[in-house]
Amino acid sequence: MQFINNYIKFCESLSTWVGKGFAWCIVILCLGTVYECTMAYIFNNPTLWNFDFSLQMYGALFLMSGAYALAAEAHVRGDVIYRLFSVKTQASIDFVLYFLFFFPGIFALAFAGIDYAGNAWKSLETSWNSPAQIQIYMIKTLIPTAGFLLIIQGLSEVARCVIAMKTGKWPERLADVEETEKILMKKAEKGEEIKI
Amino acid sequence: MFGLTNPEIALMMMGIFLFLVLLGFPIAFTLLAMGVAFGYYAYYNPETMNTIFDNRVFDLVVQNTYSVMDNHVLTAVPLFLFMGYIVERAGIVAKLFFAIRLASYKLPASMAVAALITCTLFSTATGIIGAVVTLMGLLAWPAMVKHGYDKSFASGIICAGGCLGILIPPSIMLIVYAVIAQLSPLRLFAAAMLPGLLLASLYITYAIVLAMIKPEVAPKPKAEEIPATSVIVKEVLLSFLPLFTLILLVLGTILAGIATPAEAAAIGAFGALVMAYFYKTLKWESFRESVFLTAKTSAMIMWLFIGSWTFASIFSYLGGHEIFEHFFKSIDIEPWQFLVITQIIIFLLGWPLEWTEILIIFVPIFLPLLKTFGIDPYFFAMLIALNLQTSFLTPPMAMSAYYLKGVQKKNVELMEIFKGIMPFLAIVIFAMIILYNFPGLATWLPEKLFGN
Repeated sequence: MQFINNYIKFCESLSTWVGKGFAWCIVILCLGTVYECTMAYIFNNPTLWNFDFSLQMYGALFLMSGAYALAAEAHVRGDVIYRLFSVKTQASIDFVLYFLFFFPGIFALAFAGIDYAGNAWKSLETSWNSPAQIQIYMIKTLIPTAGFLLIIQGLSEVARCVIAMKTGKWPERLADVEETEKILMKKAEKGEEIKI
Repeated sequence: MFGLTNPEIALMMMGIFLFLVLLGFPIAFTLLAMGVAFGYYAYYNPETMNTIFDNRVFDLVVQNTYSVMDNHVLTAVPLFLFMGYIVERAGIVAKLFFAIRLASYKLPASMAVAALITCTLFSTATGIIGAVVTLMGLLAWPAMVKHGYDKSFASGIICAGGCLGILIPPSIMLIVYAVIAQLSPLRLFAAAMLPGLLLASLYITYAIVLAMIKPEVAPKPKAEEIPATSVIVKEVLLSFLPLFTLILLVLGTILAGIATPAEAAAIGAFGALVMAYFYKTLKWESFRESVFLTAKTSAMIMWLFIGSWTFASIFSYLGGHEIFEHFFKSIDIEPWQFLVITQIIIFLLGWPLEWTEILIIFVPIFLPLLKTFGIDPYFFAMLIALNLQTSFLTPPMAMSAYYLKGVQKKNVELMEIFKGIMPFLAIVIFAMIILYNFPGLATWLPEKLFGN
């Protein structure tokens, strides 16, 4: 049991750490685009690289946050009926569905992604979006990387199901930033004072 | 397989998917895995196969993933999300509400009008419904109730006003729609301007008229509560004008065709940061949180795209779309009946699902049929955008009512909120009827700005 708990903690920390790291791409994406606008509209001298650059920042951002979002339960689920079930039922459903409807897709993505990225590396592929012809083999490598991160995180989700099926209680998740509405509703629930 | 034809298998695929959605499994991964499984069957060809991995579906999955990454329109989504989280966490909403409230004191139901205008502006900048409703529920709701406003009326204002953000551009929903339907995001923004303003002004008119007929639901402020004109002007200049200018700048550059949505979004996010810096309200911690939340929400939306594109390409390869087309052709209906049927389906889907899933998964089924019935895609998009407002407002699964109830637990009953929402729900449906009778509301501005 201790081993399972450690594994869950390790996976969640890994996914969260990677996701939060790549999350900073949004700042670079934002500043890069502001720079491009300044150059293009004020100095009439647009950059060649920003089109591809912004695509790559955006791609890295969402690909590498996929496992983080899974660890933080941010992926949407239609839980109208699901939340009426007992924890044990929820865990058993999830346990089965992870094998049937999670791993096949992610495995396909991860392993097919290896070939895809491999081909890009072989030809040192560049982008045809702009004359700058920026390399794209790095960003393509992130596809299988994101896939494997999701596999690791998915196994941790399965481990959570095992614990929940045994104990009837979902293990606590790592504390993480939450949406404003969740924070406010939690504070209101506890009767805390809220400053806006 | 089992003697089924391909289109029948496509229907089965949709059926299994709906069942899994109801079981509550994360939708993005369900779509991806089902796409892979059914795709493996669809592309299965023993003659060209050396190993069990020789199947075109594997290339398809990676290529679809890469096309989500290579879509420049979608880069606007994380940027707008980022802008929204910054605005939301920078304490701008309180200033905004206070300023507008002072400026509008002469109107009947002045606080309700102020709350609606704040909601409109604020949700235009953030586009995140939960945040708008909870923040306004803590800020404007108690203020209104304290001044003797009817609780139901105040609740309806907050819940309905908070949803406007998905309709009024620049909205993330419209960008997602543009990508799904392969429409120009610029034109879609232009198309949404008039319907969005129409709905907002209908809400405001309703509040004013109701206060004139029944002054007891929204009492006038007392004379001593109204500050000097100079104070009002100062508040408006300092609090209202900066955000308003930022929104106008973002929207204006897009509609004038100067900047792409992504560029405007980046400028908007940057402008929000600058504003927060001058207000001295954004802490480093809140900034970090905005960065991380942007990553999580972007991942949620984009992985849904990856899954649904894979699912949809297999679904249509198996001939699933043709089934719907045959069905709608065989029942021999008029275009208006088609519109009513689709809108009712979307309305019903809004009960268990959120706008992301409805748009990314179900709307694509109807899109190929628009040509058959000769319906303008921008007009159709606006009907859906209006309709999706109702998915947050229709009891018993009205998310915005639950957000409000969540922050005002002891002070209001859920039934009071539902009662207050009802007139606004009727207004949304009324707005849809107006739009249906005057499609020009959606098509005139895009044509005016960008030609045919």
